[in-house]
Amino acid sequence: MKDKILSFLKEYTLEIIISLIAVTLLILNPQKAYLGIKNAFFTYLNLLLVMDSVAFLAGFISEVIPKEMIKRILGKESGIKGILIGAILGTLMVGPAYAFYPFFKEMISKGARVSVIATTIGAWAIKVPWIPFAIALLGLKYVLLLNFLVFIYAIISGLIVEYFVNLK
Amino acid sequence: MQNLIMGLVLFVFTLSLYLFYFRKDKSKLSKAFKKSIKMFIQNSIRIFAIFVIIGLLEKFLSKEAVGNFLLKFSGLKGIILGDLVGAIMMGPIASGYPIAKYLFEHGAEVGVVSAFLLSWVMIGTISIPLEYKDLGKRFTITRNLLAFFSIIVLALIMEVLL
Repeated sequence: MKDKILSFLKEYTLEIIISLIAVTLLILNPQKAYLGIKNAFFTYLNLLLVMDSVAFLAGFISEVIPKEMIKRILGKESGIKGILIGAILGTLMVGPAYAFYPFFKEMISKGARVSVIATTIGAWAIKVPWIPFAIALLGLKYVLLLNFLVFIYAIISGLIVEYFVNLK
Repeated sequence: MQNLIMGLVLFVFTLSLYLFYFRKDKSKLSKAFKKSIKMFIQNSIRIFAIFVIIGLLEKFLSKEAVGNFLLKFSGLKGIILGDLVGAIMMGPIASGYPIAKYLFEHGAEVGVVSAFLLSWVMIGTISIPLEYKDLGKRFTITRNLLAFFSIIVLALIMEVLL
């Protein structure tokens, strides 16, 4: 029992600290803190469907999908095609990237290239659904150039991250 | 709204994978199911904690304060500070665009605003522990450091081109 509590404390240190901060702020400034936490609940509900799908998808990939298949599509042998798949997927996806980290972890352990995953996360910085809103506020030229740079950066950064991750 | 649509698409996709595979191999599927439930509970705790921080940050850190702070700086120093402030900002980037507009209206340089926006979407200080746990130390350190320094370069490119 004691071991269980200890391992829980270790596993969720950050979350416990955040709870303590939240409680402190609730005491110091109940009105603002309450609104903030209420927002957190709404965001959570909003993303509930994404999060449970990501978990079930990751579980499915880990137990059912054969390693060779992932390797062929997103592994070393996929070459530039795998990287482009990552870049386009990352560009089109919405929602916070960190909600998908467990899925990325599963993909890498199943043989996906590190650079493909790093490129996907890099291209996640492009938020297609928000682009019209951004253009309305900041102008067409600015928004398109910014996102174009991010796309190129995503591909290059994937290769650099992979190089350092695989460095002996 | 877009998160709900995305969730629905992913949900239908995942559900059909499970249904399709149901007749082929039930034992593998039940293993996957158990693993998924565990993962879901774990993710829920971690991600909810992040949402709490985002929610609190949004309430306690006013947009004007962020904007006014960044307006004090320009040049390379401004770009680095935009980079740092953007890394702390969390939540949908939609709330970043009005700040960027406010900055432009008050004469901020393209580089400073670009560094701020880029860093907002590319670096998530609060989600770093999550990245560390799932993708490992090297991945996390390289990706975030590389992003931090590249944002300075990208911001300078934006400054030169516009």
